[in-house]
Amino acid sequence: MAEEFVYDPERNYDEATLAQLRDMEKEIADRQNLISNRIAFDKLSEEYAKEDEIYRTKIQGDLKNRYDYVRKTRGDGNCFFRAFGFAYLEKLLTDQTDLKRFKDVAQNSKSELVKLGFPEFTIEDFHETFMEVVGKVENQCSLDELLETFNNQGLSDYIVVYLRLLVSGFLQKEADFYSCFIEGDRSMKEFCNQEVEPMGKESDHIHIIALTNVLGVPVRVEYMDRGDSLRCNQHVFPEDSTPLVTLLYRPGHYDILYT
Amino acid sequence: MSTPARRRLMRDFKRLQEDPPAGVSGAPTDNNIMLWNAVIFGPHDTPFEDGTFKLTIEFTEEYPNKPPTVRFVSKMFHPNVYADGSICLDILQNRWSPTYDVSAILTSIQSLLHDPNPNSPANNEAAQLYRENRREYEKKVAAIVQESWNDDEDDDDVDNDENA
Repeated sequence: MAEEFVYDPERNYDEATLAQLRDMEKEIADRQNLISNRIAFDKLSEEYAKEDEIYRTKIQGDLKNRYDYVRKTRGDGNCFFRAFGFAYLEKLLTDQTDLKRFKDVAQNSKSELVKLGFPEFTIEDFHETFMEVVGKVENQCSLDELLETFNNQGLSDYIVVYLRLLVSGFLQKEADFYSCFIEGDRSMKEFCNQEVEPMGKESDHIHIIALTNVLGVPVRVEYMDRGDSLRCNQHVFPEDSTPLVTLLYRPGHYDILYT
Repeated sequence: MSTPARRRLMRDFKRLQEDPPAGVSGAPTDNNIMLWNAVIFGPHDTPFEDGTFKLTIEFTEEYPNKPPTVRFVSKMFHPNVYADGSICLDILQNRWSPTYDVSAILTSIQSLLHDPNPNSPANNEAAQLYRENRREYEKKVAAIVQESWNDDEDDDDVDNDENA
């Protein structure tokens, strides 16, 4: 029988919880890079074979016919933002068509956020780092360098933070429209403070819709769930656009897909 | 090596010097930018008025993506401060945002002194007195305000008191 829990009023449970969370994060970090190299599907499906027959069926019978590779991301609650950011910048390395437009949007985004009431002093720090990375891509850095940047925890998290801030800004600006999509009795600002801005908070549809809108970068998501269907369902954000990035979703996690 | 955390802490420090919020101060320790000493002056019109409360702020390389660990070094009597000086404040835990800087942290703690949250008590006695016997609560706070001045004269006092 489990030991009975005795509440000790002198003990700081917040710190104990935080310490436990840190241990769990470290364990995941030791196992998985923030962004992996490209992996062929055969290798990935071997990994799933052990854990899940349904996933293996969907990979073998469907995904493998439509995609060649996958890049895995670390499951730290930031995977959507990190996968999106990396996949899009990687795309810009080989195809600069969208670069100038994107750079302008990114450059102007800081003053938009400041206008919305975000503190300029701290926003500036994230924005500078974000623009430095965009600059690297503009100057055609190597793929290895981009991969290294995204696997450097400090830099990589700065990019994630900035993308989160952009989502928060967009949702607060468009609060009239998006308020009805958020759960619970809370304002859009509260939702952003609790579910968007803090690192490690997982992304929902509303985050994806906001990010693709604010940056003007359409994304396709392949949904691999445990349902009986033999195929993955796909969804393009926004609908009827031509996606520049494709992500693989299985409950709670996003990886990157390549043709 | 300069990391985003260290670079950001230099910026935080610069801003704290150039544009200091009323009633708080903070600076890195002599040889370690990751460990700061700070002081919060008890806000006016609260039982903490005139107190000078010392704190330490400990950052990791994950700052500002993760919050630092903040602790009162001066003895504190407050519903949301644990016996070891650590603080129960949502923005230092699950509602941390990377847009907060040291200024924002210190001013948030300052307003926590002003406005305790008796629903998430870290010090049961303080929480109970705050709710049920405000006069006694203020008396206890007045005692630690006095003690906070002694800290200034002799830094070792804190340790001595705890061991006594």
